Amino acid sequence: MSAIIFENVYRYFTREGKSLPALDGIDLTVADKEVVALVGPSGCGKTTCLRLAAGFEVPTKGRVTVGGQPVNGPGPDRAVVFQQFALFPWKSVEENIAFGLRNQGVSASTRRERVSAVIKLMGLEGYETAYPHQLSGGMQQRVAIARAYVLDPEALLMDEPFGALDAQTRIMMQEELVRIARVNPRTVLFITHAVDEAVYLADRVAVMTRRPGRIKEILDVRHVRNAERWNDHERIEDVMDLESFVHLRTHIWRSLREEKIGVAP
Amino acid sequence: MANTSQRPLSKLEALILGVIGLAGFLGIWLAASMSGYVPRQFLPTPFEVLARATYLLTAPFAGATLPMHLARSLERYAYGVALAASIGVPLGLAMGLYRWLDDIVTPVFDGLRFIAPIAWVPFAALWFGTGIGGPIMIIFSGAFPPCLINAYRGARFVDQRYIEAAQMLGTNSLRTITEVLLPASLPSIIAGLRVGAGLGWQSLVGAELIVASAGVGYMIVQGQSNISTPTVMAGMLAIGLVGLLIDVALRQMEVLVRRARGLA
Amino acid sequence: MTPSTLPGAHSSSTLPARLTRRFLGTGSVLVLLAAWAVLTMVTDTISTSRFPSPLQFWQSTKQIVTVGYADGTLVGHALHSTRLVVLGFAVAAGIGVPLGLLMGWSRRAEALINPAFLVIRPVPPLAWIPLAILWLGLGDAAKIMVIFFAAFVPAVINTLSGIRAIEPPIIEAARMLGTGRWRFLSEVLLPAAAPMIFTGLRLALQAAWTTLVAAELVGALAGLGRVLNMAQQDIYPAMVMVGMAAVGVLGWATTRLLAEVERRAMPWLAH
Repeated sequence: MSAIIFENVYRYFTREGKSLPALDGIDLTVADKEVVALVGPSGCGKTTCLRLAAGFEVPTKGRVTVGGQPVNGPGPDRAVVFQQFALFPWKSVEENIAFGLRNQGVSASTRRERVSAVIKLMGLEGYETAYPHQLSGGMQQRVAIARAYVLDPEALLMDEPFGALDAQTRIMMQEELVRIARVNPRTVLFITHAVDEAVYLADRVAVMTRRPGRIKEILDVRHVRNAERWNDHERIEDVMDLESFVHLRTHIWRSLREEKIGVAP
Repeated sequence: MANTSQRPLSKLEALILGVIGLAGFLGIWLAASMSGYVPRQFLPTPFEVLARATYLLTAPFAGATLPMHLARSLERYAYGVALAASIGVPLGLAMGLYRWLDDIVTPVFDGLRFIAPIAWVPFAALWFGTGIGGPIMIIFSGAFPPCLINAYRGARFVDQRYIEAAQMLGTNSLRTITEVLLPASLPSIIAGLRVGAGLGWQSLVGAELIVASAGVGYMIVQGQSNISTPTVMAGMLAIGLVGLLIDVALRQMEVLVRRARGLA
Repeated sequence: MTPSTLPGAHSSSTLPARLTRRFLGTGSVLVLLAAWAVLTMVTDTISTSRFPSPLQFWQSTKQIVTVGYADGTLVGHALHSTRLVVLGFAVAAGIGVPLGLLMGWSRRAEALINPAFLVIRPVPPLAWIPLAILWLGLGDAAKIMVIFFAAFVPAVINTLSGIRAIEPPIIEAARMLGTGRWRFLSEVLLPAAAPMIFTGLRLALQAAWTTLVAAELVGALAGLGRVLNMAQQDIYPAMVMVGMAAVGVLGWATTRLLAEVERRAMPWLAH
């Protein structure tokens, strides 16, 4: 069991002596092998949630546990995929992917096996010795996802992973992620501001309020997906054309729009 | 785990560590000069250096008091830097604007740029003497390249549309330089002036060590020949302080310009 | 000596444009050389007692290469100066880069070292020359000391700012991947800061040449600065020019060498 659990989490930032609330009592559970997408207006604290789970930040109040263990600093059991990829420019594709395994003291032969398996999974064959700057944005993000997957983490934390990609690459990566998730399901917390992406990828979508962020509602996409047989469609555009998909998406948009035009406190 | 990503130290912590570091530095210095392993004549204590600096404020050494030496140095310095800026900045801007000028000047500039400014000293002395002309030329050769390069870079990276807009509006060349290029590249120019002013100050010291009959560089060379280590160190202190003040002043100017442009 | 070649130079796309550029470039150098020859040798507009003619320059070059000047041949003086620059530079880089890394790695170390460093930093390297001569005399040791002080400061500062400029996600990625202390230093901080470190080393090398020439001008037993100094005292402009040219060529050659090292040390950068 490797669930991500937020229990009544508060996070305050201090700026110029003033205390600004960013998260205002988050309760959220990402169950084992479940994909939860977190959407919300910009600045609502989605990314802060992810950083708390990653261990880059500490909650002011409440607690975050992953796999039953309270989060205490970053570690390879909670692999992060960053929006700006954050690959090491001085390491080749292979070296980038192998780096985390080396840190864990995995033997060279095992390392080779696991790296080449994930390279195959991500369709990176032939690019093993390339440096990141020689790759397109989409390929770089594949490397970053491979670097996370190879660690066999309890949880994958994805912070707007496709936000820096162009629209076409983005769609390809979304399909790819669904394919990989079927082969190799993981517990995923997925941050995005793209509603389509959230509905397409997630088992559940959590909508946040404006800052200070709270969970406004949680939609069970998996239920609709199974009932309406979304998985019978190969292509993303066919899924997005389904009435049930459009319905969900419109619902979330309305919900977000209320947040944007709502009167500031 | 590395501290690089950990929370920065609190102000108090930083202050305490800084004081410890500084005290350690001065302590080692003091211990070394008191220990007797090094002749005191060659390594005076920090206090002796401070006392000497205070003494030199009013008493003459090598023909003048410390403030008088500094005044002579600053006079040369002001001329040299002003000359470097008034030639380097317009030339750099023009090179940014006119490609043919760039093509002509750059090879000559590239041919000369590996010659250390200080190597001009013998010619400077030969052509302009050791009074004020020679040192000014050395300061100029130190301060000129950054002025030129930054003005050039500033002008090159001005959005081409501004220049096209100006031309479309029928602006003549001089106007284009003074009213479009100059304001747009001001932040880069100021940064170049700051670097140039720093290099100019360094070159001044070098020039005065070799060819001068007054000035703070001359004073420390005289201190050296008279084996007066406290004088040398007091001079170094003064040179460092003035250099620091120049840098702080120009940095302030840079911040103001950048802020006015909404860049900082 | 200026930091680097003119950045952002006009890019020329078409072949005629490139030819025009080359023509103007070589043209300007040729015109300058011709003007030099004519003004000094034909019209005597420039007095050769102040500025040598090309012929005098050539004769002086021959003299110092074959017979020697200021107690040595050109090669001897050049080797002497280069050896000191390389030694002083190596010591400064060998201490400065690790110190900068340490300060970047640990905020405590930075807070401890920085104030003492700030006391030394504003003193121009050339101002150390009289003190170095007082302490160590006119020989090589004093030269190495001043070169050290000149090259040390840019080495430390650029290494430190190289580390400070690393983007936070890179550091977070390393932490997320469970990187240990030493591997973090050697495989993350060092390569991430490498471009800035090399910038610092380039500046350090230039500063090393500048200070060496100055120190040798103030007083030296051998080296190119001594050639310049003797030539100045002998009022021998042609030899001054030979000395300057030699300083320029050596500065250029060592900078090229460092650029080559840089290129090989960072194969991941697009060149």
